[in-house]
Amino acid sequence: MDTLCTKSQKQIPVIFSFLFLSIIFSINSVSAQDGAKLFKQNCAVCHSLGTNKLTGPGLAGIASRAPGDAWLMKWIKNNNEVIKSGDAYATKILAENNGAQMTVFADLKDEELKAIVAYIKAPPVEVKPVVTNADGGGAAPEEKGVNPLAILIGVIAFLIIIVGVLRGVSHSLKNLQREKSGLEEIEQVGVWRELKIWMGTHKRTMALIVLFVLGGVLSATWDALMGIGVYEGYHPSQPIAFSHKIHAGDNAINCQYCHSGVEKGKTAGIPTVNVCMNCHKGISKGPSGEKGTAEIAKIYAAAGWDPDKGAYTKPQRPIIWTKVHNLPDFVFFSHAQHVKVGKQDCANCHGDVKTMTTVQQVSPLTMGWCIDCHRKTEVPGMKDNPYYESLHAKLKEKFKNLPKEEQVITVAKMGGIECGKCHY
Amino acid sequence: MAVFGCVTVAVTSCSKHDANSPGVEYMPDMYRSPSLETNSFSIVANADGSFDTIETNRLPVAGTIARGFMPFPYANTPEGYELAKLNAHNPLERNDMNTKQGEELYGKYCVHCHGATGEGDGLVGGKLPGPPPPYTAPDKINMTEGELFHIIAYGKGLMGPHSSLLTADERWKLVLYVQHLQHPDGMPAPVADSVAAKEVKVKEKSKKGK
Repeated sequence: MDTLCTKSQKQIPVIFSFLFLSIIFSINSVSAQDGAKLFKQNCAVCHSLGTNKLTGPGLAGIASRAPGDAWLMKWIKNNNEVIKSGDAYATKILAENNGAQMTVFADLKDEELKAIVAYIKAPPVEVKPVVTNADGGGAAPEEKGVNPLAILIGVIAFLIIIVGVLRGVSHSLKNLQREKSGLEEIEQVGVWRELKIWMGTHKRTMALIVLFVLGGVLSATWDALMGIGVYEGYHPSQPIAFSHKIHAGDNAINCQYCHSGVEKGKTAGIPTVNVCMNCHKGISKGPSGEKGTAEIAKIYAAAGWDPDKGAYTKPQRPIIWTKVHNLPDFVFFSHAQHVKVGKQDCANCHGDVKTMTTVQQVSPLTMGWCIDCHRKTEVPGMKDNPYYESLHAKLKEKFKNLPKEEQVITVAKMGGIECGKCHY
Repeated sequence: MAVFGCVTVAVTSCSKHDANSPGVEYMPDMYRSPSLETNSFSIVANADGSFDTIETNRLPVAGTIARGFMPFPYANTPEGYELAKLNAHNPLERNDMNTKQGEELYGKYCVHCHGATGEGDGLVGGKLPGPPPPYTAPDKINMTEGELFHIIAYGKGLMGPHSSLLTADERWKLVLYVQHLQHPDGMPAPVADSVAAKEVKVKEKSKKGK
């Protein structure tokens, strides 16, 4: 007990000095810098420092508009009371904003209010970020790639010339030798005739070469024909240069935030413009330079959003996106089935979209590809779902005589490769 | 052989060079559906011979309600907000399953702005002009469930409406999880709620009396 008492007694001056220090700090720290911090925490959600309206009016030139500092402080603390008192300016701005009231900040202290007012009256001049400059210069000049076909043709032409020259040299050397030994000169034989002679003497080799070439051509033709209708690698440009890398990668926005139909319906859905505006009402600049800003302006044009007035006043027009992943009309595919029940990750079929600037189709989306996966994959959602309990037990019973590694209940074992499952 | 060669060259040379072309299509009528697909556009002929491009995603006909859809009876106005604050109540039970599903939804629809704990420290939240206020701020911690639902449905301040993304059920599940974040040790006794409800009842009675 004694020791405890002494301990706590020792602690008292420490606590006091700490309290004293913290008071000093708190008094000192409510300065213009804190004004900026307080503004960002409490006000910036609705007010910009410029002239544009977010939810509330822009605050540029507030000093010349509002009745004074004391009024502003009173207004920020509890605008409700100011309105109730019948203040003329308060009624005016309430009417200007269609009767939408500001949040009450009853917890802000007088020093904090002072700091906020000082900050909004004289906000720091926005320094143009150096990033834009660096970015403008940083855009690497496009590499001038040389067409590989041109290189090939060049090499072949060069070889033909060399062969021709060497043949001529060898012919004249032979004749020189014959001349020395007193023999007659022989006429130079054309390439084609010489080849014919060679082919006549090497019939077996010739047959092999013909077979080899024919096989190559056949297989190339087969591959090319199989590629018809397979759009793997298709990555069209879109009406707005939307980057999945920035949204899903850098900002880690979940795929389902925009493609919210994926657990509910056949299609994952392309987000409507109101979903874009949920964030872009506040974010009007891209992360690097002018390009993003111009692209975001296209969203505003589609949504009919006027960034200066902060309202949807302009005519709306739909964005016509280009569809990347397309399945033929004769096959049924449901996203809900695969994502909600099958618990498949988006990346299993769509690849690492988080790193794609323009979306690319990475899977062939052919029937063979579908069936391959159905033969290998279990249905994880089925095991824990009481709805499937009896079905799961029955299937287990049915396949218990198979070797151990084949007892896995895959999609295929549940009828997932029946024709009528997808084609009807 | 020459024929094969020609075919090979013909087929391989005109595919996949242009990023904007998917490649050669086999029987396009089997790929391009004559019936309307989700998120597509269709060209329709008008009576006067002109053509219009129409979206296949349409709003319901005015005055109709989609099957299984319950409209939220409180309007997107300050008055509607006040009414919802007092009168809208969560039809779902506060249990582990619902809160867990709310947590899953929170991870998909809220976390990038509001942050994992609701502090307003999400990656996107930091890029907004002002980050979302923390759920435990003194003026936020005692928001009623009706208020939270109204905000999720219609938005507030910089937050946009989320009713097109979430069904009413999902929104109520989110309300449960947001309240769980505000009060991790269990909800306080709903004093304010019952007082408010009483007030409303009194008001209604007085209205009827009039």
